Formats: sequence, C-alpha cells, structure tokens
Amino acid sequence: MTTLIECPRESEILDALASARWPSRVDAELTSHVSSCEICQDVIAVASAMREDHDTAYREANVPSSGQMWWRSEMRARQDAVREAARPVAVAQGVAAVLALGVAGVAGWFAWPTVHDFFVPAASAAQTMSPMVLPLLVAMGTLLVVAPVALYVVLSEKP
Amino acid sequence: MFSRELTVSDIERLERVATAAVEALQMDEDTFRAFYDRTARQVWAYLARITGDRTVADDLLQESYYRFLRAERAFTSDSHRRNYLYRIATNLAHDRHRRGRVAVHVPMPEENAPGALSDGRDLAAETERRTDLARAMATLKPREREMLWLAYAQGSSHEEIAESLGLRKSSIKILLFRARRRLASALGGAR
Repeated sequence: MTTLIECPRESEILDALASARWPSRVDAELTSHVSSCEICQDVIAVASAMREDHDTAYREANVPSSGQMWWRSEMRARQDAVREAARPVAVAQGVAAVLALGVAGVAGWFAWPTVHDFFVPAASAAQTMSPMVLPLLVAMGTLLVVAPVALYVVLSEKP
Repeated sequence: MFSRELTVSDIERLERVATAAVEALQMDEDTFRAFYDRTARQVWAYLARITGDRTVADDLLQESYYRFLRAERAFTSDSHRRNYLYRIATNLAHDRHRRGRVAVHVPMPEENAPGALSDGRDLAAETERRTDLARAMATLKPREREMLWLAYAQGSSHEEIAESLGLRKSSIKILLFRARRRLASALGGAR
C-alpha cells in the first residue's frame, strides 16, 4: 500500500485560504472533499495557523530603516576591510625568518673552509701580527649584523 | 619583530582598501534600500519564528543583509536574490542553533489584559492559538520549521524552498509532507 503525499486539490485549498474564502465561501464540493481527505485537512490545519502567525509576526516586526541598515553595513565593510589589510602577516614573517636562518646555515656550511683557512693562519700569525687584528675582525662582523637593524629602527618614522 | 606606527602611506593604503570594500558591495544604496524595504519584515518574521527568539532575529537580520551585500555573486532575478538572502539567514540560524545559543522556546503571551483586538478578534483566543502553534513548532526539527514557514506562511514554491534551504527540489515534496504531518498532529494534540 502506498501512502499519498499530496492531493491534487491542495492548491485550491491554499488559494481559498489566501483569499479568505475558506470555509464559508467555497463550494460544497470542496468542503466535502476536505472532510474525507486527510492531506487537505492537514494542509488547512497547518496553513491557516501559519498564515495567521505570519500576519502577526509581520505586524510585530520592528526592523531598522533601510538607510540605517545601509549605513551600518557600509561602516562594517570598511572596518572589516581595514582590519584584514592591517592584520600582521605573522605566518609570512615566521616563514621568512625560518628561510633566512636556513639560508644563513647553508651559507655558513659552504663558507666554513674559507673562514677556517682565513682564521687558522691568522691565529698562527697573530703572534707576529699586531694584537689589534682579531678584535678588529670581531668588531667588523658585529657591525655587519647590527648596522641593518640600527638603520631600520632609525628610519622607521617613529615620532 | 618590530611594530611600527602607521605612516601616511599606510593610512592612504588602508583608506583605499576601505573604499574598495564599499564599492565591492553587492548593490548600490538605492537598489539595496528598495530591496530591503521589500524583504526585511518577511525575513525578520521568518527568523523570529524559526529561532523562536526576537532578539536573535534582530541580530541575524543585520548579519544576513550584511553578508548578502558582501556576497560576490551575480543574480539573475529578484527571486534568485531573495532566495539567496533566505539561504544566508537560514545558515546563520543553523550556526546559532549548533552553537547552542538558541533554544527554541514557547513565547509567553504578551502582558495584555483579556479583551478584544482592534480588528474585533478575541485576544485570549488569539494568544492561545499563537501559543499552541509556537509549542507545536518547538517540537519540530529546524529544517521542518523552515520548510513549513516558507511553504505555508510565505507561500513559496517548492523550487524557491529548495533554493532557499539548499535542498534538492525533488526531495521537497516528501520532506514537506512529513513536516506537515508532524505539525498537524502536534496542533491536533494541543487543541
């Protein structure tokens, strides 16, 4: 046995409800159909209750004016866009830092023999050379690291 | 990391970004206002009834129109546009429901003394009918409430319901039948 899920007269019932003709101003044939059709009875029970509630809700709706809604949306769109654009790119900065360390590591690996060859004779020759050479090299190295940072801080337009 | 104060060029860039965001909105002001005036009360009524909470409906109404305005979509008709707005509103209501911030409740009758309404109907009977419906609606699943409201309170077609709720048109008939059956039984029990 198959259960009917719709009745061909459903739309007639809905029309009658929408035009406030149900139940007093519809023909007797439709009334008699409804009394024997379970689907149409459900449609009437549900649709009449919901239409009534809809009218009440519509009357009660106290919505902001369209101008107000537009203004708020415009403001929020601006704020959201600025927030997104100004958000610090922490992930990108992290990736850049890791890459920089990686590059420095690789460069150090390849440069190590050269550096080693440079410092070993220098150390052995240090006794014959001026005692100021080694501290001078260390100072130059430090300057190479510190100078870009110092330049950034100076030129960063802080008041 | 160093944090810098905003420079003039930063401010100009952000200003350009903000202006572009406003220009990228779905509609210009006049079109939006006309569309809003046509739809807002209906959308509010829908949200109020599917969530069972007027305050939530107020919040979701704003959020729905904002998201609608920011949607990067082309619409072929006013009906398509309206269905998309309902879809946003429905999804927002679902999100709220999932987060447990909305428990559908039966509204208490307003604090009016028994008597007649301005159109002559009996206030007590009217309040009772509304309470019965709210109680019966609260027993349904969110999807059932949405479907029934769109079909019987707003008179939407099956195609519009499918588009608004993100369902297949072919499944609307059976889902609507089941939801209607459940609500009719619940209403029958309440009466």
